[in-house]
Amino acid sequence: MNPELVHTLRELIPQIQGYIYPNEIEIHWGLLIVVYPYITGVVAGAFILASLVKVFNVKEVQPLYRLSLLTALAYLLVAPMALVSHLGHPERFYEILLTPQTSSAMAMFGFVYAWYLMAVLLLEIWFVHRTDMIEWAEHETGLMRHIHRALALYSRDTGDRSVAFDHKALKVITIVGIPSAFLLHGYVGFIFGSIKANPWWSSVLIPIVFLFSAIVSGIALVILLYMILTPLTGGKISMRCVDKAIDFLFYAVIVDFSLELVDFIHRVYQSEEEIKILSEMVMSKLFASLIIIQVLLGMLVPLTLISLTKIFKKRFHLNEDLRKMVYFVAVILIQFGIFATRWNVVIGGQMFSKSFRGLTTYKMEFGGIEGLLFAIFLLALPILILAVLTKILPPWKEMHGQPAPEGVEAAGS
Amino acid sequence: MGKFFERFPDPLARLIVVFLAMLVVGLFVVIVLIPKPMKDVQMQWADAVKREQARPVKYAGFRSCGECHDALYETKKTGYHRDLSCETCHGPAKGHTEDPDNVKPVIPVERAFCPQCHAYDPSRPRGFPMINPVVHNPLKSCASCHNPHDPKPPTTPRECSACHGEIARTKAVSHHVQLECTTCHKTPQQHKVSPRAVKPTKPQTREFCGKCHGKEGKDRMAKNAPKIDLAEHGEKYVCWQCHYPHSPEVEQ
Repeated sequence: MNPELVHTLRELIPQIQGYIYPNEIEIHWGLLIVVYPYITGVVAGAFILASLVKVFNVKEVQPLYRLSLLTALAYLLVAPMALVSHLGHPERFYEILLTPQTSSAMAMFGFVYAWYLMAVLLLEIWFVHRTDMIEWAEHETGLMRHIHRALALYSRDTGDRSVAFDHKALKVITIVGIPSAFLLHGYVGFIFGSIKANPWWSSVLIPIVFLFSAIVSGIALVILLYMILTPLTGGKISMRCVDKAIDFLFYAVIVDFSLELVDFIHRVYQSEEEIKILSEMVMSKLFASLIIIQVLLGMLVPLTLISLTKIFKKRFHLNEDLRKMVYFVAVILIQFGIFATRWNVVIGGQMFSKSFRGLTTYKMEFGGIEGLLFAIFLLALPILILAVLTKILPPWKEMHGQPAPEGVEAAGS
Repeated sequence: MGKFFERFPDPLARLIVVFLAMLVVGLFVVIVLIPKPMKDVQMQWADAVKREQARPVKYAGFRSCGECHDALYETKKTGYHRDLSCETCHGPAKGHTEDPDNVKPVIPVERAFCPQCHAYDPSRPRGFPMINPVVHNPLKSCASCHNPHDPKPPTTPRECSACHGEIARTKAVSHHVQLECTTCHKTPQQHKVSPRAVKPTKPQTREFCGKCHGKEGKDRMAKNAPKIDLAEHGEKYVCWQCHYPHSPEVEQ
């Protein structure tokens, strides 16, 4: 073996168990590929939450509508960064769009992404905020006035015909947006599920499991942001809204958990040749991240917590603070759980040898483009982008429960 | 143009302008700015194929070995190594097929070679022949005991090992592994019926071991065996009185 490679693998080699092919010692899809499906998942989930207001007419979660759209946009802008950074030449990202290889699922992501960004999310946000931006620009001076006027495409038309068109367009976009959101995240699962040579991934359930965990993480994150941002901006958390959103989260977690359980039972029942090494991996290398964080802390504990608020309804409804605290803990745990899900899929799938006779280990770097620091930066970046977006398109009025401008509210009905 | 846009609601008209502008810029970039060959993915593949084709051919393939070395080829065809290509052990042999006299393929005689596959590794399939290279006949070349073209694991006949299992296991990892039990012992048929009453013979003369270990030993198998001068070495004793024959240890 190449001495340079041996040098870089020196720390890994003593931790390898059993027999493993030389090209499997080092894990090539690292932390960035864990971050990538997590972020796209949040986008899809946040958008689904937004669509509850527009398509399914759930009035209680109206305060979350604009926040979830902005959250989806902030995370969507960061989503491809993890992927193109991992590929090693982020400056060449545009080549995917200019010279597309249509048989590559990952290259086609460029088009799904562009479609989702341009034709769904930006348009929806634009239509939601158009009349607002015209109104804001009228009362503002300086830079902000110019930004709002430019973002409104210098439109000043707030007449009935235009507003009615906004509402119609919003409904159509949201309806188109739901399958698009499914496509955006389902495709990530599709890539993993298509890798036939890897029994940890090769399952038709993977895209659906990805999708439901995406919905779970998106809804949980928007609830978390709402619970943090509302008091910070001087508003009062609407428990009616949080209760309803938590209801949806609860159902989504149950579906997600059931799907994962079905997948697990199916694997155990089939008991194909890989079952031995997979169970060994789950019980040793992935024990903490799969059993403890993903299943126990990320699913069972939040499910129990939310169930308690439903079982002891009276007690919890009398004490709003207790309910808030329980919800808060549950949504944070769910975030960790979903991140661990991504970790277990991506890292777990590469930890066992295709010889089914050995396990390798993952050594995380701290610095560098594949390191922990950069991953933390990527996870923090959407929050920074969201901060900027809320400056330009403040969702506070709606979040604080004040009636949104006439047009937007009517769009929900 | 203005009248055309007036037919649409204001927001739609503005979006149409933005999307048309983006479309024009996009088409301009794709059609005009990107050079044609860059859009052709076949180009990269063609380059890769050319690059691979330009690399020198080093391997001749096992069939070409059989053309000259037909006896070895036939032996290997039915042995345990039948699925290995000749060049797996002997290295690339294209040069040898073109100039057989001057270019000779390698013959791996060093002890480190065979354990690449046959060293003990718990993850190898059950039944795969594995040895511990440190204790398995150290210092001896593998080919001195095993015919690499038709390797057969040495076995002790069931009728001996059924009763003398410990001896069989000891002998299996000793220098005498290749010797049949009957090389040293003559076993009357009656031994199997009344093992205690009728016993196999043991070598009674020093010359018996001397056939291999004597200075003059000419036996083919004994080429690498340690040699002694029978006249000077422990003349009062039969060899097995000092050396345990099923696992003979000597100072090299």
